[in-house]
Amino acid sequence: MSGQPGAPPGSLPGPPQGSPHSGPSATVGPRTTQLRLLPRGPKPAWSVVASFVLLGLVALAAIFGSVVFADATKQSILDSLLPPFTAGHLLGTDELGRDVFALLVAGTASAVVGPLVIALGSMTIGIVLGTLAGYHRGWLDMIISRFSDVLLALPVMLLAIVVAGIFDAGYWMTVALLVLLFSPSDIRIVRAGVLEQAPRPYVEAAQMLSLSRWRIMFVHVVPNVWPLIVTNVLLNTSFALVTLSSLSFLGLGVAPGTADWGRQIADGRGLMADNPAALIAPAVLIVLVSMAINVVGDWFGERLERKGIR
Amino acid sequence: MSGVRGLVVEKLAVTGPAGAIVHPVDVVVPPGRTLAVIGESGSGKTMTARALTGLLPSGVTATGRFSVDGDALELPADPSAWRRVRGRRIVLLMQDPFTSLSPVHRCGDQIALTIRARIAFERGADRAAAVRRDRTVRGAVQAEVLQRLAEVNLPAEVARAYPSALSGGMRQRVAIAAALAARPRVLIADEPTTALDASNQGEVLDLLLSLQRAYDMSLILVSHDLGLVSGRADEVLVMRHGEVVERGRADHVLVRPQHEYTRKLLEANPSINDVMGSTAASTGQVGPTGQAGATAEFAAAGAVPLASTDDSFGPESLLFAEGIAKRYGTTQALAGVDVDVRAGEVVAVVGESGSGKSTLARCLAGLDAPDAGSVRLGGETLPPRRRGRTPDQMQIVFQDPYSTLNPVFTVEQTLREALRVAGRPAEDLTELLEMVDLGPEFAGRRPSQLSGGQRQRVAIARALAPRPRVLICDESVSALDVSVQAQILELIVRLRDELQLAVLFITHDLGVVARVAGRVLVLRRGEAVERGTTADVLTRPQHPYTQLLVAAARDDSIARQNHDPAGSLP
Repeated sequence: MSGQPGAPPGSLPGPPQGSPHSGPSATVGPRTTQLRLLPRGPKPAWSVVASFVLLGLVALAAIFGSVVFADATKQSILDSLLPPFTAGHLLGTDELGRDVFALLVAGTASAVVGPLVIALGSMTIGIVLGTLAGYHRGWLDMIISRFSDVLLALPVMLLAIVVAGIFDAGYWMTVALLVLLFSPSDIRIVRAGVLEQAPRPYVEAAQMLSLSRWRIMFVHVVPNVWPLIVTNVLLNTSFALVTLSSLSFLGLGVAPGTADWGRQIADGRGLMADNPAALIAPAVLIVLVSMAINVVGDWFGERLERKGIR
Repeated sequence: MSGVRGLVVEKLAVTGPAGAIVHPVDVVVPPGRTLAVIGESGSGKTMTARALTGLLPSGVTATGRFSVDGDALELPADPSAWRRVRGRRIVLLMQDPFTSLSPVHRCGDQIALTIRARIAFERGADRAAAVRRDRTVRGAVQAEVLQRLAEVNLPAEVARAYPSALSGGMRQRVAIAAALAARPRVLIADEPTTALDASNQGEVLDLLLSLQRAYDMSLILVSHDLGLVSGRADEVLVMRHGEVVERGRADHVLVRPQHEYTRKLLEANPSINDVMGSTAASTGQVGPTGQAGATAEFAAAGAVPLASTDDSFGPESLLFAEGIAKRYGTTQALAGVDVDVRAGEVVAVVGESGSGKSTLARCLAGLDAPDAGSVRLGGETLPPRRRGRTPDQMQIVFQDPYSTLNPVFTVEQTLREALRVAGRPAEDLTELLEMVDLGPEFAGRRPSQLSGGQRQRVAIARALAPRPRVLICDESVSALDVSVQAQILELIVRLRDELQLAVLFITHDLGVVARVAGRVLVLRRGEAVERGTTADVLTRPQHPYTQLLVAAARDDSIARQNHDPAGSLP
């Protein structure tokens, strides 16, 4: 039945003729759908730039802080309660004579690393369970969704206080607990994203090629949910920063005497009259850093969304 | 220019962030006349329409001036100036009746809203709300809603219905009723029937035109469909890359096009009449003798081309499916349909949306498990539920070129993966790209850097990578512009011959059927109502439903057919 086909086989080596307006004159005017003419080059606002600068400084402090200010926690009663802007003590000292600025810098690591680990750890759980639930649906979805519902129903702070208080858990134990407690929102968000992607033709085309489920889920689908993932990781980081600091403010998770922002606030409560910086500086820093993470997270999410998936 | 009736547009230009979108254009549409603006996507036709209603996306500006019955507006105009014009003198009818109506309001209320706005405007009030509180008009408004519905041939019950309860054609009628309730002088219809089924398109458009004449309005009809426009528009404006390439009286431009681009568009436009002419001979498998040859060939092959008989079936066919049934909830999507496709043959499955044709494709491909029936491939019965278990035998090409490729993968990654699955070496990539007429420079690109036609080519290449024996095309060209459509159809026909593929081609477009298919299966509400050779079904349809479909398709291209013989080919 081969007959004489109209188009001689393989005799069309010409240029690709996919689009009628892919010619040289197509440089003028829009090429894609006409209504997609929204802002092209994202120009970061000043708030985004400021947030990046702040987070850069925080990162530096987290890495080198404890080296540069190795003796930040050294007490010297003679120098206690110096007000801010005293020579040699920019933000003054607390009642144990520790330099507030040095404490802040040295405490950065414990303030920032924990939340990062919490956000990344819970997102790992979220990606695995959320993708499984969203892609497979059915009973697996049922189990995973109910599991995350139960976790979501638990009050994070209360449970952390109880566990950390009763079992006298250390910093990393608390972090591990928070990884678990932070995971339900990640599971839900990833599941929703995967649910939206799964019925798309490119996924069905991958199924038609009989690729393995794991490959379809984690190589094809998950990268398309990436904007959601990045945004939520950063959002959770700032939330975890506040949660962890609150716990150490209550004296949980962090051993007394260690450099930690939450701890500093707790210690600084009584020093308002003598050295307000001991209380205000760490508090303002927590607020600023968590805000900066949020701003950067939003910016990232928007950019990724604009770049990739449409 | 005051005193001139109708719409007069002078030096209308549209500029976007990347430069000019529409170059200055002058247009005059007298009352009662219809101007068709024709072009492919990206030609600027929609932008021209939107510029006249001030509904341009942000970052896009229009300059120039236009007047309606002598009342002029200088562009760019401020919002208050627009409020005087938009929705009162000029009304825009949108393409998609599924989204242009509010899903949470009853149809009658949506029409009433326009009526009240008009009454408020006539009274000089600024807001329709003032009229809503006025009890004296309430009865009049309700009466007019029913009158408007009757005008578009809809029953009074529709006033109380929500849009979700109506079909696409009915929704577009409601949208027309709401648009006309404003009693505009100028109506701009942006692809008003593109989202509708083939049999509905002509009907809705004719309704629109009869109302336009009754109300003596100027109509601008934006469309990519030459068949639909011919015989309906008075004047035609052909646009490309934001410039007018040809304009003039419709019976001149569409019959004796002067510009090469218009000629190309006319040729690329798939028409049901192709089956009569040389196109079918060159692209179908009917051979050089045309229709008669086709019939003879099928008869010789044991495929008796009689409609409504099962004689054309053979279990010896490469793909043979029997009694495929599928039910979704309470809807019987498919009620026992038989299909067979031989190697080197294209069989088209035709039907409107909801006829079950896509369900059939999915059941055959194994993406959905049929409730009953069996699928045999090369004599072997396939298991019903086999999502991703038979890679190399059967592949599918989907409709939407924008979601068919993974957006984060490059072309190379997509195709390499498909090759790896089939155990083919990665070097075959170039061969694969060549097969679908794409150069090696496309390997590194991502879908967002490709046009719709290019994406569909990649999708076809991906489907062919495992060297399947059966290719299922589920509306694979319906989202593409006509000239791209023609190229893809040509490609599919060529690959059918080169690779001896069995192709099942799902479509709602009889013009496309005439171009590619040797045999046709007509589906309606999940049942096969007619089958036979393309020539037979399209020239002598037996079933009343097929006759309706063919008549609708024929109407759209009738004008061309009448003038065709000497006209379009100088």
